[in-house]
Parts: sequence; C-alpha cells; structure tokens
Amino acid sequence: MRLNKKDLNKILSILAEGRELFVPGQVRGIKQFKLWEGEAPELDGENTILPPKDILFPKTEKMYTYKTGTEAEIAEIVDMPERIIFGLRACDMRSIECMDSVFIREGFEDSFYARRRAKSLIVAIACSGAGVNCFCESMGLDPNAAPSADIFLSDGGDCYGVEANTERGAAELKKWAEYLTEGDVPKSETHCSLAPAMSRELSKKLTGIFDDDELWQEVTGPCIQCGTCSFVCPTCYCFDINQADAGGEGVAFRCWDSCMFSDYNQNAGGHNTRPTKKQRLRNRYLHKLAYFNERHGMELCVGCGRCISKCPAHLDIAEFIDKTAEVCHD
Amino acid sequence: MIEVNHDCTCQGNPLVPQVCRITDIRNETGDVKTFRVQSLDGKRPFLPMPGQLGMWSMLGVGEAMFSITAFGEDWIESSIKAVGELTEAMHELSVGDFVGLRGPYGNGFPVDALKGRDILFIGGGIGAAPVRSLIRWCAVHREQYGRFDIVCGARTIDDVPFREDFFENWPKMDNTGVHITVDRKTDNWNGSVAFIPDYVETLGLTPENRKVVMCGPSIMIRLTTERLAKLGFARGDIITSMETRMKCGIGKCGRCNIGSKYVCLDGPVFTLTELDELPAE
Repeated sequence: MRLNKKDLNKILSILAEGRELFVPGQVRGIKQFKLWEGEAPELDGENTILPPKDILFPKTEKMYTYKTGTEAEIAEIVDMPERIIFGLRACDMRSIECMDSVFIREGFEDSFYARRRAKSLIVAIACSGAGVNCFCESMGLDPNAAPSADIFLSDGGDCYGVEANTERGAAELKKWAEYLTEGDVPKSETHCSLAPAMSRELSKKLTGIFDDDELWQEVTGPCIQCGTCSFVCPTCYCFDINQADAGGEGVAFRCWDSCMFSDYNQNAGGHNTRPTKKQRLRNRYLHKLAYFNERHGMELCVGCGRCISKCPAHLDIAEFIDKTAEVCHD
Repeated sequence: MIEVNHDCTCQGNPLVPQVCRITDIRNETGDVKTFRVQSLDGKRPFLPMPGQLGMWSMLGVGEAMFSITAFGEDWIESSIKAVGELTEAMHELSVGDFVGLRGPYGNGFPVDALKGRDILFIGGGIGAAPVRSLIRWCAVHREQYGRFDIVCGARTIDDVPFREDFFENWPKMDNTGVHITVDRKTDNWNGSVAFIPDYVETLGLTPENRKVVMCGPSIMIRLTTERLAKLGFARGDIITSMETRMKCGIGKCGRCNIGSKYVCLDGPVFTLTELDELPAE
C-alpha cells in the first residue's frame, strides 16, 4: 500500500488518538523520541542521538509502593499507558528484539517490561541516512527493512510504501484505510558508512582473547568510565533497584545502570568482582559481542554507532571489532 | 540457549517482594544474626531448595540477597552478618517487625547427584549458612546419603554460628563426624586451632565415592581446593556456592554475570569444573 506524505499528519492524528505517540524530534536541541504535539516529525537525515529504549524501559520506573510500621504493605504498580513508537529504524527495532529476548523470552518474564511492550505498537521506517559511525550491516541488519516492527514504511519520494508485519499492524492499517492507495514502492537503498569485520564466527572466537592483557590495556586505556556509551546504547539494559523513602512509606524503583561504573560490582564488605576499568570494559564488549550471543543467539550490538559518536575519549567499538578480527584470525 | 528450570513463587512477579513478619531472631555470633520470618497469613513465604537464595527487603533502606539457611513448615530463615548499611539496619530489627522477601532464586545444591555419596561439608565463617541448608536437607533424607563429615572453621570459637547444630544436633546423626577448628585459640576452647585448608588435610578423608560441598571466603576455597587436590579429589567433585552483588535475582539486571552465566540464575551453586570453564573475571 502507499501513503501520500501529505497525509502523514492525518495518520499521526489517528495514531495519537487515546494513545501516547512518540516520534523523532528535537528536545532542547537533542534529536530524540518525544511525545507528538502536532508537529512534523524529523524522519529524514541521521538517526536520533538518543535511542528510543526509554519508551519501553524507562530511565526510572516505579515498581511498587510500600508502607512500613504496623500496617506494612507492598502494592505493585501495574498501570501502563498504550503507546506508539513511530519512525524508528532497523537498528533500534533490533535493539527492541534484544530487550524482548532478555525481558520476555528467556527465563522469567519481567512483568514491567512485558506490560509496556504488550501495549506498544511500533511503526518503523526505512533508514534515510547513515551517520558517519553507522555499521548495522556488519551486525547482520538491513537498514531498509524491519521485519519485526508492526508496520514498516519505506520511502518512495512523495509517498511511503506501507506494509503490516503483524496482526496488530494489520488491524491498525484498517484505521488508515481512507488515506491508503494500492501499489508498492521500491525498497530503499541506504547503506552504512563503516564496515568492521564482524561475523558470527568472530562472536564465537572473542572469548578466546579474554586473557590478551596487552590488547585489553590498549583498547581500554583512554576510557574515562563516564558511562555515556551505556546511556546512548539502544541495547544496554542493566538496571539498579532502589527505594525512595518518605518516612513510613515510599516507592521502589529501578533505573538504568552501567557496568562501566566502579560501584556496579561493589559488594558489602569491600570486595569488587571487576575492580579495574580494563575488566569492566572487557565485560561490556564481550557481553555485547559474545556472551549475549550464547544465551540469545544474536549480538547485543546493532551497529547504530551512537557510542562511537558520543564517547568523549574516542573509544570505537567498530575499530575494536576490526582489531580483534585480526587477532582472532591469527 | 539455557533452560531455566527452577521456579520463583513470589506472587507471580519475581521482582515484587511479599511482606513478611519476623517471628524469631537469634544471635549466632557477635556480628551474625539469624532472622526467621513467615508471611502475614502465618505461612512459609515460599518453598526453597537447599542452597537457593532469598532477596530480603528492608523497606525504606533497600534489598540484598542472602542464602536461605533453613526452612520449616511455616517459616524461612537466613543468617545475616552485619557488614554494611543494609545489614546493620537489619540487625536493629525486632521480633514482630516487617520485612519484604522475594524468591527463591538460583539453582540450589544438587541433592540428587549427591545421593549415595559420602559428603564432606565445609563451612568457613558465615559460609556455614548455605552449607547448613544442605546438611538439614540431608539429615531429613539421611538414608539416601553415605557418611557425613562436617567441618566448621571460624576465627575463634565464639565466631562459630549455629552452635545447636554443630554441637548438639549434628554429632548425634548416624555415621557423621563433626569437626570444629578455629584460627585463634581462646580460653574457652581446647579443640583444634588450624586454618581450614591445613585442618582438612589431617582428617584422613579419601576421595573415593566422596563429594565435597564447601562455602566460605574465596581464599579459603582456593587453598582448601589445593589440599584436596593433593588428596586426590577431582575438581568436578567439589561443589561451592558463589556470592556477588545482585539486584534482580532473575538474570536481567546484568550485575552478577561471569561470562555468559548469571550467578543468581545459573548458580549460585557450581562445581569447580564448571567455574573453570567461565572467564576469570
């Protein structure tokens, strides 16, 4: 089906009816996903600086309220709004597949994520422009397709090609009917800027360089342990659980955390299982490129390049992949 | 892909604790207390297997994971050493106070694989807490197991926890030897003064048909393993329980990984052979 670009705002109005609609746009000068307020979304150019992950996995999420004292009680917070994520790209869709695997498919279900996910509809769009640090194709993605999104839009100049990939997507398209016309648009031809030598084979070999101290010293040397990489990463999902107490009652919440921080593995009594930044960054890279694959059958890196763009110490995971590819093939 | 076959029974949501009431607090040593709890309707909060973990929540302070050292018809207990902010706050609690509890988490000890075997139990300091859960299980199913040798090591005799078990209950069990050793002699102790690695070597135990279950500080595990290796014990026959910082208990929050394994989910119980296969974090 086709959708004339002139009718996009009407479609967004349909999507926003009774639901929270998130689209790419500017918030205080940073391109990111924001609540739609009638404006034209920023679908062109490079991807958002921040990933859409906090729509499904909020930076801070209340889990339950509690009361202490003689009337002690704990009450889970279950209220989740219906949401639409509009205009995310193949890399960010893959990152949601990674989080689905962690929070829903493997082992215990994480009810907080699962409830949000069940109430979210995703309309993905073909990538309109690779950034200088993009390498999603090396991670096995096609920037011009997002088969797990509910609805996918490809760019046909003055119109979008529209296809539903799921039943929910097909049901949603019925609401768009008066604006859709028959016909297809050819698949877009966006390609990545970088092509690091990542392969499934490398993923399996990476743990073999765990003890290559010299390599890890060199790779991790400039890191300042700021955690920016985790913050901008669409797949980093580590979290902390804490309580905000207001005297006799309070709320337990979880919030994003980063394995780069020195207190991440700090135990009571002083022991730290990863006391050096070399150990922490090694764990981060190997989790992304090897460990996650062992449990979930895919890498925990989607090649979006955000961590490369934003690292103040110029660490570069694509460069790391190339470096290790050389070592691993020796 | 790794199958997870244990069950977490906290009200359907493994991240939300249930409110429990403290029904008993016992002073084990100067800095270890055992807290017994039951649910508000007077029941056991959940049914753990030996070696499994419970996430204790001190409402208003935070949560921390402890091994469940014993359970009965309508109670669960953990022994908690005061080492930080949360545990020191817990030591201020009184009988009748409320805490949150969720679990059970982790794999627990391999109670079936141990059947028919002689077992050498070793607990160093508060490491005796997880070992106790297994000894209690084996005591109930005594006929399914071979000879028991129970070793407890502590800084001084006053630092030995679970005194009723070590000095009264367990010595009375069939075909069981209880061996206590301390690091430092005091006037109230006439028994062995030796570190666990040295002491275990003197007990004359052979590896034939025997498994070792050992918990304690990592230095104790490492040195005792060296001595056990000299005696011919295989690393696959030595079982231990790991402890590390945890937040969720279900392998999501990321914190307790060793390579692709999560201590809270795939552990905390591992054989040394299983640990050898993991990256040396």
